[in-house]
Amino acid sequence: MIARTSPIVSLAVRAVTPIALVVAAYVLFAGHNQPGGGFAAGLMLGAIIVLRTVAGLQEPRHATVWLSIGGVIAGVVAIAPMFWGEPLLDQVVVTWDVPVLGTVKTGSALLFDLGVVAIVVGLVIALLDGLDATSLVDRVRSSPSDDRNDRGAAA
Amino acid sequence: MIWFLLALHAVVVVAIAFLGRPLGRASLWLAAVPMAVTAAWSATRLGSGDVITAGFQWVPGLDVAIEFRVDAMGALLSVLVSGIGALVCVYAYGYFSPSATSIGRFAATLLAFSTAMVGLVWANSVWTLFIFWELTSITSFLLVGFKHTDPVARTAARRALVITAAGGLSLLAGFVLFVDAAGTALLSEITPITGATANAAAILILVAAATKSAQFPFHVWLPGAMAAPTPVSAYLHSATMVKAGVILVAVIAPAFGDTDVWKPLGLSFGLATMVWGAVGALRHVDAKLILAWGTVSQLGLLITLLAVGTPKATFAAISILVAHAVFKAALFMVVGEVDVRTGTRNINELSGLRRSMPITFAVAVISGASMAGIPPLLGFPAKEAAIEAALGLSGTEFLVVGGLIIGGSVLTVAYTTRLLLGMFGSSEPMADRDVAARRPAMSAPEVILAAASVAGFVALGWVTGIVRPAVVTVAPKAEVYSLLRWPGLTDAFLTSVAVVAVGLVVGVLLARRHVVSGPVARGAANVDWTIDGVGRLARQVAGRVQHGSLPLYLATTVLVVCVAAVPFVGQIDGDSLYWWDNRAEAVLVLMIVAAAISATQVSSRLGAALVLGGVGFSVAGLFVAHGAPDLVLTQLLVETVIVVGFVVGLGRLATTFPIATRLWTAGRLVIAVAMGTAVAVALAGSASNTVGEAPVRELARTAQDDGGGKNVVNVILTDTRALDTFGEVIVLMVVAVGILTLSTKRGRRKVAR
Repeated sequence: MIARTSPIVSLAVRAVTPIALVVAAYVLFAGHNQPGGGFAAGLMLGAIIVLRTVAGLQEPRHATVWLSIGGVIAGVVAIAPMFWGEPLLDQVVVTWDVPVLGTVKTGSALLFDLGVVAIVVGLVIALLDGLDATSLVDRVRSSPSDDRNDRGAAA
Repeated sequence: MIWFLLALHAVVVVAIAFLGRPLGRASLWLAAVPMAVTAAWSATRLGSGDVITAGFQWVPGLDVAIEFRVDAMGALLSVLVSGIGALVCVYAYGYFSPSATSIGRFAATLLAFSTAMVGLVWANSVWTLFIFWELTSITSFLLVGFKHTDPVARTAARRALVITAAGGLSLLAGFVLFVDAAGTALLSEITPITGATANAAAILILVAAATKSAQFPFHVWLPGAMAAPTPVSAYLHSATMVKAGVILVAVIAPAFGDTDVWKPLGLSFGLATMVWGAVGALRHVDAKLILAWGTVSQLGLLITLLAVGTPKATFAAISILVAHAVFKAALFMVVGEVDVRTGTRNINELSGLRRSMPITFAVAVISGASMAGIPPLLGFPAKEAAIEAALGLSGTEFLVVGGLIIGGSVLTVAYTTRLLLGMFGSSEPMADRDVAARRPAMSAPEVILAAASVAGFVALGWVTGIVRPAVVTVAPKAEVYSLLRWPGLTDAFLTSVAVVAVGLVVGVLLARRHVVSGPVARGAANVDWTIDGVGRLARQVAGRVQHGSLPLYLATTVLVVCVAAVPFVGQIDGDSLYWWDNRAEAVLVLMIVAAAISATQVSSRLGAALVLGGVGFSVAGLFVAHGAPDLVLTQLLVETVIVVGFVVGLGRLATTFPIATRLWTAGRLVIAVAMGTAVAVALAGSASNTVGEAPVRELARTAQDDGGGKNVVNVILTDTRALDTFGEVIVLMVVAVGILTLSTKRGRRKVAR
């Protein structure tokens, strides 16, 4: 794992993080009319989390929190219409005027997608946690096996 | 009022469940409150002609409703259930010593059971009845297994649960057929039905009733259930739960009375149980087991009378049901008190209790005489009605059913005599045991119940006035019958006298004969063996199937997919297949194939992961060629995450693959080729068979109009087919939780490189 030792990788990941967040948010909101959506946005966030973990910038933690938040959002959005006598997962479309963006048309599907985002992020974190990514990164950095790997690659 | 009472029960159950520990035995008083309130309210409805209903649609699409109906029958039964329940709570207060633990749990479960039972007797739709039926099974399981550290109690509870729950399944199936045949789920709208479906439903429902009401051969759980504390036996196994089957048969008999199987099957169950139960009661030496077997016998009599189905027999059955609930609960309480105060229930060891426990003795004699059908007690006119109904039969029915009912009555008198003589017969004080002091909380309910047996006879006109309207709800022609204090010198009365005389002689003779110990419960042992056997078999099968080898799991999955693909072979339409839409696809497919093959040849794990990533990105390219930007985006992101994840995960493993044997390599080659072929065949087959027009236009329209979005794919995901997405999301969560659990369980063990 070169990431921990290389300031270039570390800096690059740091620099990419906010951009990825913005893009993920865009993908989420654009989803209804253009390519994107909750799953894609969640994966984008997941990818940046993986990169940050590998680069040693963060640890894969709180997977259960993400999962629970996502599960609750998706579940509430799914069940809520039933309180108004509508079928399960009925969608409400809202159109409103936002100063800069103009007329925005959105709906409860966006909320549902938000839940999906959280669940996908939780899944990625759970995977990293399951693979014990952090200790792995540490171990790779501190163990002499790096040299062996390099030699192997060179040969 | 119905909702209020059920809610009151539920609230108090929850309250006791939380406060039970600090409250201790006082929680029994708390549990008695909803029961007493229910009994009091029901008492005001006794014999009343008008009906109170409550209900709501639960699953409108399936026409499943929760419906309650308190008519004369419902009120009568809930007076019994709740009234005896309240008395049992008082009794239990005396039964348990002040230092006993888990009384809160006991009180909460007992009240929960009582709630289920009240719901059952008030149920008006078969679905409501079924739900409360199952609830009584579960709560009674908890009560029988109350002493959960005792393996005997645990086994008995499991046996009771398995048998009654199997009956519950039978009941569900029977109700489904019944609703299909009758066209209604409401018990108040029952009309006679016949035909094949009705026959099947009749069999299933009778079997269910037989499991619950301990009919031969399902009776084996009831004697075992005596492992429960005696208050439970007094409540569940005499007055209430075992009557559930009888009640079910009574209320549903109007529908099935005309079917071919109802009467023969019901009579077989009832008669066999009546005789076998009475024989069992004569063979045991444990007073509680004698009562349990006696209950089995009485339940057989009830089912017999209901299966006979004449208005007179039904009237007799409900009268006996009432009398039985009163005297059998009292007798169980007596046995429990004797057990608590002397430390034994063995009739060989008990003696001299006439002097040391005079009140208990009086209660036992009164209730026992009521059971034997001796005046001036409530059991007498009820038994009289039964014998009259039996004498009213004709032909073979008279010989078989009438003969067995009379014979069963003789045996009833005999085992009652033997029990009373065994417990109270000798006047010598017990040599090796002290009799503990009387506990008023135990005596009071006993005395009340014994007094009820007497008062029932004294106020027989009033009893008739509440029993008859109840019977009329299921057998309208029964309104001409009454319970008679003095029937005159009829055939039935003379038969009764003969029955009592013969029974007394037999009982005295049998009491003289010294039986060392009761028979071994062979039926129960067989049931246990079967249950254990199923468990053993399941473990063996699971051990074989869940072998833990990942390659073999994968191979199994692939094999199943290959078999599933076989039907598609015939559907491939060669003419509709073509090579490509776009030349770029050919290039991309070549890249995919090349990457896939090289993935199998690379010796370094990291290399293989990267090459696999190449496959994924090339697939994304295919999506580009087809103009599916959503899929491209998702595919690219998934591949990215997977490749990075691989790289992280590979750190745990050796850098190169282990060297496989030639056979293993060949096997994997076969599996891989088979899977590839199967998927290709399935896709080609299904693509050759497009039916109708593609729904693209329709989906695009609904996406715009209903979903409010231009991206059709995403609107399908989040709106049109949102339920599917919701399911997938839940799968994702389950996977994540699984990963977390597995990784935590392994305790972050370092894996050797």
